[in-house]
Amino acid sequence: MNLLVLYLLLLKAVVTSFSGLTSLPVVRHDLVEQRHVLTDRQLNAAVAAGRTAPGPNGLYIVSVGYFVAGIPGACMGCLAVMTPAFLIIPMLRYLGARADRPAVKNAIQCVMLAAAGLVVSSTVPLARDALTSPLAVGIALGSFLFLVLTRKDTLWVVLGAAIVGLLGRLL
Amino acid sequence: MLAVSLKGLTWIFARVGNLTFGGGNPTMAALQSELVTTRHWLDEEEYALIYALARITPGTNLLAFSAAAAWKILGWIGAVCAVLALTIPSAAVVVLLTRGYQAWNANALAMAAIGGTLAAASGMMATSAWQLLAPQIRRGRRVRAVVIFLAALIASGWFSMPPIEVLGLAALLGLLWQAPMDK
Repeated sequence: MNLLVLYLLLLKAVVTSFSGLTSLPVVRHDLVEQRHVLTDRQLNAAVAAGRTAPGPNGLYIVSVGYFVAGIPGACMGCLAVMTPAFLIIPMLRYLGARADRPAVKNAIQCVMLAAAGLVVSSTVPLARDALTSPLAVGIALGSFLFLVLTRKDTLWVVLGAAIVGLLGRLL
Repeated sequence: MLAVSLKGLTWIFARVGNLTFGGGNPTMAALQSELVTTRHWLDEEEYALIYALARITPGTNLLAFSAAAAWKILGWIGAVCAVLALTIPSAAVVVLLTRGYQAWNANALAMAAIGGTLAAASGMMATSAWQLLAPQIRRGRRVRAVVIFLAALIASGWFSMPPIEVLGLAALLGLLWQAPMDK
């Protein structure tokens, strides 16, 4: 896949999201459904890799780029994650005074709500691919409850899930 | 107030950004401690404005926050160095983890462990959706929250509407359907 096209597709996904995994539906739509250069399993693995590493949650995009085009693809992913960050500087210069306006806040809240719906919508096919046994379903439910109830770091969830998966195989 | 240097500023973003797990909020809290409380390079009001703007900047909130905070302190060179310092080492770790996934693809035991992490990823994505939704489910906003969440889910899941169109419509709806704000 052409690296510039990959960069622009990943940039589109990042620019249309407002936090880590809300770019996921756009990535899945463009790279899994439309262009078939990524599988649901690879996208799942990218999310796991992105959440295991330190740093911003959105770095799963780097892993997506790597799956599509190796190290150059990862570099495109990294650039796509970094580029929109600089939009804040003109905003800080000119729009800072308007950040508290109710209309702006309301629009952002609705975008966040729609993003939640989109994340659930894109989780369904990924879950269909990953949750192929009762143990896997248990791990997914356990991970969800653990994160919602304890707010502990996702690193522990990933490590715990790997250990449970391994024990499930050995026993 | 401690003296500002590009090297010192870059090191703070590299250290805090790459050694703090858990995503944006814990890292921004750690940066607040470093930049506002300890070094006084930003005051509380500047931090609050940058934090609020980072929430409405497209993309990764933490990177937008870092770009703005470093720009306020040292201009464009500070912003570029902060974003690079915060992103590159973690991105390298992500690539190594992805390579590990590919390398162990044929090993049954490794795949069992990886299968566990893939299952957990579904749980993490559900958590991500919940964390976006939960703060909006409160008195005065509940109906709007449920309607928009379900409408986006149905538009995307059943009618395959592209995500950008769903988000654009949601923003438009937010301008038309206003709910009471927190004090």
